[in-house]
Amino acid sequence: MDCKTANELLPLYFDGELDRATSREFEAHLDECADCRAALIGLDALRGALRKDAPRYTAPDALRARIQENVASAAPVSRRPPGTRLSWLALAASWVLAFAVGGVTLAAWNHASTSEQEQAQLLRDLFSSHWRALAAASPIDVVSTDQHTVKPWFAGKVSTAPVVQDFSAQGYALIGGRIDYVGTERVPVLVYRHGKHVIDVFVLPGAATRGGDEPIQLQGYVLESATLGGQAAAIVSDMDQAELTRFRDLLDTSSLSHTTPGDR
Amino acid sequence: MMSTSSRAFVDDLALRHLDAAYNLGRWLLGSEQDAADAVHDAYLRAARASDTYAGGNERAWWLAIVRNCCLARLAVRNKEKKNVPIDDNPIAAERWMPRADADDIEEALDSTRRRQLITRHLRNLPENFREVLILREIEELSYREIADVLQTPIGTVMSRLARGRALLQKALTDSGNVEDSHGL
Repeated sequence: MDCKTANELLPLYFDGELDRATSREFEAHLDECADCRAALIGLDALRGALRKDAPRYTAPDALRARIQENVASAAPVSRRPPGTRLSWLALAASWVLAFAVGGVTLAAWNHASTSEQEQAQLLRDLFSSHWRALAAASPIDVVSTDQHTVKPWFAGKVSTAPVVQDFSAQGYALIGGRIDYVGTERVPVLVYRHGKHVIDVFVLPGAATRGGDEPIQLQGYVLESATLGGQAAAIVSDMDQAELTRFRDLLDTSSLSHTTPGDR
Repeated sequence: MMSTSSRAFVDDLALRHLDAAYNLGRWLLGSEQDAADAVHDAYLRAARASDTYAGGNERAWWLAIVRNCCLARLAVRNKEKKNVPIDDNPIAAERWMPRADADDIEEALDSTRRRQLITRHLRNLPENFREVLILREIEELSYREIADVLQTPIGTVMSRLARGRALLQKALTDSGNVEDSHGL
């Protein structure tokens, strides 16, 4: 590991966000690099100072009492974590929101009516999410090769559970999913593996509009737009163009046998 | 329409993480009264919106609402160009100063100076950086949780955290030896 890489990983290591294998590589570098050791000690000293000397203000009793008053006035009932079942009203509301936001995101995606800057920001979000996932302790929140496990996991976490299909027969195995942010939106991300390549499929809110978007490259990674079950999606990976196109075609055709927006 | 069970969930959540909420509000708004009011607003809003909680980290969901209420207050404050007195007085300071029984008076003085110094520098940071530092270093949230609170990509959390740490480190270094600080 060179110093430049180590420097980028240093905060991740310090904050416990690196996976074990990368942590070990990082520690090996640390043994032989005094600069990185010093940087790490610096971060630790700062944290020490903050935890010791920056006040953690505790809520005043009056505030606690004010809230407890409200609590007491509500009917005492048994506790069940919500989110497992949404009321139809909340569901309807989330749909309206998904469509409204979808319009915004898609506009940015199609760079028809928005500035280059927003477009660039969206691209940065997608790429950085992919890179961060590659370096993270848990690139996937739900680890499963079974589409019937991955799809329900998304339900209730995002407004639209995406179409999930495994393509291991074609060489693109489903390995799980996670939720990430694109702008301020929570979006489902499907994670596939092809050989040694990890592929992220970001399912963007809103209906798909297949325009002949050119693939975009950044530091050896490629972003290509696709459709998934009628929704716009973005594929990010370091596969070569031919493999990527083949995967995109698989995704595009998979949508035909699944839900259409009319089913909602 | 409010489901009573999800209401109970919000009550429990708010009370369990009341200190975290207040601490965030206090650092964002700088004033005891404003922070308490913002957290109370957040509680009412969370109770109304409890049906919209769609899984995920609950503490992050709650703190995101608290933060939004604080930012709303900041926006009003900026618009009205109102100067809210920052609670800087020794009485407010006593609240978080434990152990009045510090053996050594010198030691106690040093520690007070260190606290004043770091509090001042933290307060001087732009709120973008201040809030990630509070959430990461004091509330000990993970990157993912912070991203949920800020409703922003994790990459943004990482860059703000790095920048905030660098700024604070520099400010502390520039102000030099704590013992020599002029008690500004």
